[in-house]
Amino acid sequence: MSGSYDRPPDRPGMRGLGSSPRTPEYDAYDDGAVVTQQGGRTSTQSRDPAYGTYEPEPISPDSLRTDYERVSRPDIYVPTREARKVQSLTAPIVPAGSVTGRSLTLVITIMCFLACLTVGAVYMIRQSANAWLRDIASEVTVQVQAKDGTDAEKLTQQVATYLGQQAGISKVTVMSAAESAALLEPWLGPIDDLNALPLPRLIAIELDRAGTPNVDAVREGVEKQFQGVTLDDHRRWQRQITTITHSFSLGGLAILALVAMATTAIIVSATKSSMASNREIVEVLHFVGATDRFIAREFEKHFLRLGVRAGLVGAILALAVFTLMPTIVQILGGGSLTLSELHRLVGSGSLDMAGYVLMGIVVVVIAALCMLTSRFGVFRILNSKH
Amino acid sequence: MIRLTNVGLKYDRGPEILSEVNFHLRPGSFHFLTGPSGAGKTSLLRLLFMSLHPTHGQIQLFGQDVSRITTSKRAPLRRRIGIVFQDFRLLEHLTTWENVALPLRVVGKRLDDYKEDVTDLLQWVGLGDRMHGYPSVLSGGEKQRAAIARAVIGKPELLLADEPTGNVDPQMARRLLRLFIELNRLGTSVLIATHDHQLMRQFKAPRLELHDGHVRIV
Repeated sequence: MSGSYDRPPDRPGMRGLGSSPRTPEYDAYDDGAVVTQQGGRTSTQSRDPAYGTYEPEPISPDSLRTDYERVSRPDIYVPTREARKVQSLTAPIVPAGSVTGRSLTLVITIMCFLACLTVGAVYMIRQSANAWLRDIASEVTVQVQAKDGTDAEKLTQQVATYLGQQAGISKVTVMSAAESAALLEPWLGPIDDLNALPLPRLIAIELDRAGTPNVDAVREGVEKQFQGVTLDDHRRWQRQITTITHSFSLGGLAILALVAMATTAIIVSATKSSMASNREIVEVLHFVGATDRFIAREFEKHFLRLGVRAGLVGAILALAVFTLMPTIVQILGGGSLTLSELHRLVGSGSLDMAGYVLMGIVVVVIAALCMLTSRFGVFRILNSKH
Repeated sequence: MIRLTNVGLKYDRGPEILSEVNFHLRPGSFHFLTGPSGAGKTSLLRLLFMSLHPTHGQIQLFGQDVSRITTSKRAPLRRRIGIVFQDFRLLEHLTTWENVALPLRVVGKRLDDYKEDVTDLLQWVGLGDRMHGYPSVLSGGEKQRAAIARAVIGKPELLLADEPTGNVDPQMARRLLRLFIELNRLGTSVLIATHDHQLMRQFKAPRLELHDGHVRIV
């Protein structure tokens, strides 16, 4: 028999119920008869004279089927799924199809995609902002605005020399007029004659990270020493960047909270409908002694699988978006926005290892949310029925 | 094993189905439950199976008062009881084999520990060649045998059966009765609700007769 478990001959039957009644206690086909073949036909002459000679009818092809063939290809209608099930003796007690349909999988995938997109975007913005803050925290810009016909070049050199003598300043770079113009070019376009504009000259100072000086004292000193010289340590800019970054983070958290709430609501609704459609199964499980915990586990298994599957697909889609985003922006910008400009705005535009780990955490959280929500949903429904 | 004291039952505002029912079934006993249709045999079995609460009175099962039992305490008691429903209650998406193995899966037994027992039992009840088929392709009698196999596979201390031979021929009915007797010999208390007088004649066992909501032991 296909898929059956043949009991060893020395093993007793279940609970001593005896051997199967189908098993004959004697061999009904052996009476020591002599089988002869003549002219393509088989004759059987029994040794017992009472039985005489047995002359069988010509054998039809169907009767040639062995017992094994008869069982493996039964005469009755058997659904095609039977052959598949024979391999597994532990099919899910609650059928997967009755719990997690395609629509539910699609919705959870979209939820996970949105969550991953939000987490990735907030993470990238924070990374870019931190990089900006790191850069500008160790840099101070000095503006030299020559007044009353003072030689701007000479004044700039004097200020640079003064700054170079101060403790805690590792590098002083005087930016030429052309370099200053290049900085303004993205906003003002090409400038033919810089001298026509009252532009200040710039000196970039790099602070010694090991022994950062008192910037306020340096500012006070340089402003007292030279007329028309101001020092900007970018504190206002840093504050603005920090505020914007925090706003993005809070916005991201709000989106994540909404996604979590929507996912929970969807799973609660799906749990209710799957419990309703599997009411008979739940009843039978209770009858055979299943605890509520066992029943909840049967349902939550499907929801966990759904969460992992939908979560992974959502995360992969979000990763694809992050990978393709720079190219898409370039295409949409019609070439006016270069990759380097984009990188200047939003950093590299790709995730590092920590970003991937965050995505993984989103998948885990979505899967856990699906599982736990369904578990509590099942418990709640079962308790309300009792 | 089972003790009912002044048990009464009615559904909502309907008439009283059972009234002042008192009896005691000792461990290892064998009883038939009989009475006319609508007398309340199934309701009494449902009370004993804790799927109904009595309107009044007390039901003791395995020494515990189960009249107002909570769900958390019900499951372990139900594992000690095997029940055969009149309408079989087989799960259509599971094979006959899987249906019969269900009580063992529920208690967390390992497949290797029970698969031969399930196969043996199915062969014994004559479903060896149907064990991997689905209930939808089984006849009424075959479903009944599968339901009986599911009820006894967990070696219950108490077997409750509601018309277990209602859909089988007399030969199979005798065979199933033999199974119940065999189980009883091995220590299982058996209570069979039946109309089948021929079945009751084949095995001398006390009868609980239900009449007008009252139980009389004959």
